[in-house]
Parts: sequence; C-alpha cells; structure tokens
Amino acid sequence: MISLLFWLVVIPFCIGLLPAHFITDKKAAGPGLVLLSGFFVMWALFEAAALPAVIFVRYANFRAASVGFAAGSILCAMAGVLLAIRRRRAPVRADGGIFAPVRAMSWAERSEWLLFFGLLGFQLYKAAAYASFDGDDAYYVVESLIAQQADVMYRILPYTGRPTDLDVRHALAVFPMWIAYIADRSGIHATIVSHLIMPLVLIPLSYLVYYEIGRLLFCRRADENGGSFSGEDLPIFMIIMALFQMFGNVSIYTNETFFLTRTWQGKAVAGSLVIPALFWIFLQIYGGREREGRTGAGVWIVFVCVNMTAGICSSIAVFLISILTAVAALALAVVQRDLKVLLKMGAACIPNVVYMAIYVVMAYSYLW
Amino acid sequence: MWGIFLESVVIFQNYMGFHENGYLAGIYLFALLYLWLAEKDRRRRAIFVYAPTLLLFLFFCPLFRKVFVRLLEDSETYYRLLWLLQMSMVSAYGLLKLCGRHRRIGLAVICAAIIACGDYVYDSEHITKAENAYHLPQEVIDIVDMIEPETGRITVLVPADLIYFVRQYSTNIELPYGREMLIARWDYHHAMYEAMEKAEVIEADTFTELAREYPCAYIVLKEDRQIDEPLTEHGYDLYGQVGGYLIYRDTQTE
Repeated sequence: MISLLFWLVVIPFCIGLLPAHFITDKKAAGPGLVLLSGFFVMWALFEAAALPAVIFVRYANFRAASVGFAAGSILCAMAGVLLAIRRRRAPVRADGGIFAPVRAMSWAERSEWLLFFGLLGFQLYKAAAYASFDGDDAYYVVESLIAQQADVMYRILPYTGRPTDLDVRHALAVFPMWIAYIADRSGIHATIVSHLIMPLVLIPLSYLVYYEIGRLLFCRRADENGGSFSGEDLPIFMIIMALFQMFGNVSIYTNETFFLTRTWQGKAVAGSLVIPALFWIFLQIYGGREREGRTGAGVWIVFVCVNMTAGICSSIAVFLISILTAVAALALAVVQRDLKVLLKMGAACIPNVVYMAIYVVMAYSYLW
Repeated sequence: MWGIFLESVVIFQNYMGFHENGYLAGIYLFALLYLWLAEKDRRRRAIFVYAPTLLLFLFFCPLFRKVFVRLLEDSETYYRLLWLLQMSMVSAYGLLKLCGRHRRIGLAVICAAIIACGDYVYDSEHITKAENAYHLPQEVIDIVDMIEPETGRITVLVPADLIYFVRQYSTNIELPYGREMLIARWDYHHAMYEAMEKAEVIEADTFTELAREYPCAYIVLKEDRQIDEPLTEHGYDLYGQVGGYLIYRDTQTE
C-alpha cells in the first residue's frame, strides 16, 4: 500500500513540481496541475527508459527498463522538490487554507459538487466491485503479468507463452509495462493492479483533466465571483461530463465506453486522458489565461510529455494526437493570423515524429 | 471514392449507435452547431468549433481514409479518429453556454437528454459482479491453483471459455493455442483447436495424440463435453473437478 502511494501519488506529485516551477501563474499551478503534469512527465520518462530496453535488450529487459525508470523518476522528483523549496512557493494555495473555496461556495454549488462526487464515487465503486470482460486483456494484462513474473517484455507471446519476435505495433506501446512496474514495486499481482488499482487511479485522474479544462473554460466567471477557482458552472460541467461517461455506451467503440470498461488499457487512457489533456494544453497556451513565451515554458514541457505519453498508450494514438495537434494548430494559426503557432506546436510534436520513425524502421526492417 | 465515403458513413453510424437508437451524436451535433453560432472568443472557436469540424470533414474524406489505412495498415481502428471529437467535452461546453443563467433548469434538461439519448454502460452484458480481486472467474483461479507446478511451466489444454483468463492468473501455464483462435475474422487454423472445439464428439484417439505432441500435462474439459471414449482409457486420470469442469492429468507425461 505504501509503495502504491509512493509511486502513484508522491512520485508523480514531486515530479510535477518540475514543470510547475516554470509556470509563473500561481492560480494555474495548483495541486491538480502539479499532479497531472507529474503523471505525464513520469509516463514520458517511462517511455524513454522502456523503449531502448524493449528494442536493444533481449533477456531481462524489464529489469533494465525498471532500473532506468526508477533512477530517472527519483532524480526528477528530487529536482522538483528542490526547485519548490528554493522558490519557497508551495503549489497548494495558502490564502485561507485549502477549504477556502468550499467556504466561499453557496449551498447550491456545494450540493452540485456533492452530486458530482456521488457520480464519481459510484463509478469507482462499479470499477472495483464489478468485473468488465474484454478479450484484449488476454494480450495486455498478460503482457504485464509476464513482465512481472518472467522479467521479460514483449519476447513471449501472451496468448500461449511461446517465445516470439517483437510485434512492433504493441511493443512500442509500453503502458502495460508501466502497470507491471507498479505491480512489481508494490508486490501486487499485475492482474489485480490492472483490473482493480488502475481504475481507482485513472478514473479520478481523467476527471482531474476535465476539472482543469473546466477551470480554464469557466475561470472568468469564477474570477468575477470572488477569485475562487470553483466557479458556479464548473460543478455542472463536471456532472455533465460524468453522466456522459456513464451513458456514452451508445456503441462499443466510443471513448466513453473504453473509459469505464477497459480503463486499464493504453488505448482507453489515450481516449479519455491523453486526448482531453491536449485540449487542456491548448486552452492553457491559447485559451487566454496563460501567456505565451517564458511564462508558458512549463506548459510546453507538459505538452511534449503528453505527446510522449500517447506513445506508451498505443502507436495509433501517436498518429491521432498528431492529427489533432495539426488541425488545432491550423485553426489557431488562422484565427490568430500567426504562422508561428504552427511551428511551435509542430516542434512539440517532435517526439511523435521520432516515435513514428522508430515504428517504420522496425516494421520494415526486413526490407534491408 | 464514393464507396469509401459510404464506408465512413457506416463507421460513423456504428460508432454513434444509430442502429440501436443511440442519439448522443444528436446532442453533440446540436452543441457544435450552437457553438458555430454563439462562440465569440476566436481562440475557443478554433479549439471547440473549427478543429472538430475539420476533423469531421477529414473523417468523411475518402482520400484521408485511404492514406490513414495505408499508413497504419489497419482499417479496423479508423473509428478512433472520432475520439478526437471529444463529444462529451464539446457537448458539455456548448450546452452550458446555451443555458446561460438558467443553469439549474438547464442541468436538469441536459441530464434528462443524456439519459434519454445515451446507453447506460453498466447495463452491458460484459459487466458482472467481481468474484475476486483479480476480476477473473473464480473457477479459473481454482483450476490453476490445483494444477500449477511449484517450479517451471506446464502446458494445459482448456476449453475456449477459459482461454482468455488462465494466463491472466498465471503465466506458468502455457496453452497450445490462445485467444487468436477465438476471433473468427482472424481466420487461424489449429489442429488441436479443431479437435477440442469444432468436433461435435471428441475422438479420443487423435485428440490425445495431438495433446501429447505439446505435451499437455493436463486437459480441462466441460463436464457435458461429448467424447467417444473416456480419457481414463487413454492414459489420463481424473485429477479433480471444479464447478462444471473436469481436470484430467496425463499420467504418461512427466
């Protein structure tokens, strides 16, 4: 339990202090942003540690990736803490304590938040107490378990247990290996971590992204109402988002269905966490609150890490978010009449280009 | 090109659940249309109006679909392009903007519309009460606990309905074939699978001969599975029973 808290709360939060250091807007750099940023930087670190191990190390490659990731994470976490101490700027809002926004709310607002947390709690209860069958688990969850039990990444066919060559499409999407890492550190069976622990982490984390988006969308009204970030539209936005997730099962293909039925799979994380996070980044950079340039450096770091996170989720996700970024950059460049937007957002996508280049080289290596 | 466009239309309809009277897409398109008319902030307009519209245009563009499928060598995942629309977020933003100051009445109407047009995810037949912390069928865990070796790995032949789960519990159990055999469109052929699942009545002679090629240390059969001769007459003993499954051990395999 302590290991879980350490790797799923303490380490991401401390790592998040690193990009938060480069965001000067105190209101923007709240604990939610710090934690979210920390997760994205941590996943980017995992990609950087795991991909070379998957590609170049044949035996005990999971151990190699784990050592590299642990060292990188702890170093970044320490750097984040040191920077926070040096600046003596606690990310947690101090004015009036953390309950000040709650005290400033009307009873109606409080009841709306209560309703939202009721919906969230219900989703978490369902995720923990109910099993959701999905055939793809025979691949992804077993890959995590193989890494935990046999110390091997992507060299054993999960369906049967026989040795196999690297399957490029899956081998570059190392999200199951991150789950294996958490399982290994905590000493909990990887299947329990996937099916039970991950939803309890990833569902709230997705809502944290929606919350941050809501803050950016409705902050103006909130500011007019006394400076609290819990604007009166925000709880309603969150309730609608929660209901949409619960009733979005109009087909087996929607990201809402993936979100609540395959929460632990990389593609679900891509649909419900990474893609919304891009909207959050777009709003941070171009939504009005965060000024471009020096003050936004932290957000750009997170932008790059969100792109890298897509790579650990699924190889198609890299392609998808590149399309989204290209389309959004084009639209923003047109409305701002500024071609630099295209260049900046294109530069943030360099990890995607590198990832796709690795993919192509590995997939077509038989040609040379 | 017209054919590719029509394929995209079908994918869109299937994604949005039109065939099952799911009309959440209607809410989304309504919200998007409203934002087209009402959103004045040009940056938000770019993110919440122009970008989704461009994405919709790309989705239906036959040339784009051709490039997408060619690059990824996969046409089955094209629907994921629709994930970029983030229907829930755009709808929530658009509808809240529409409500203006009538927030509470608006919330009630929006909630009613989502419930009426959507489909409750927890009604899915694939979601059942968890029997354990693994979220796996308890019978699988009991079977594997019974046969798993203390060291090393063994190969075990199990019925199709257990294939998904056995290796999620223990990777010390190897299987002669896996989930790939259960996906009809993948079109795999496997002699052991044919003998185990396709034959109306298992022919014990050829069946045990195939099983010993791996060799399978255990064979798990459903209690009501028909077999022309008992496995006990072919060098197996009945090792145990878990629920509706009989577990046979090959006495000739060490």
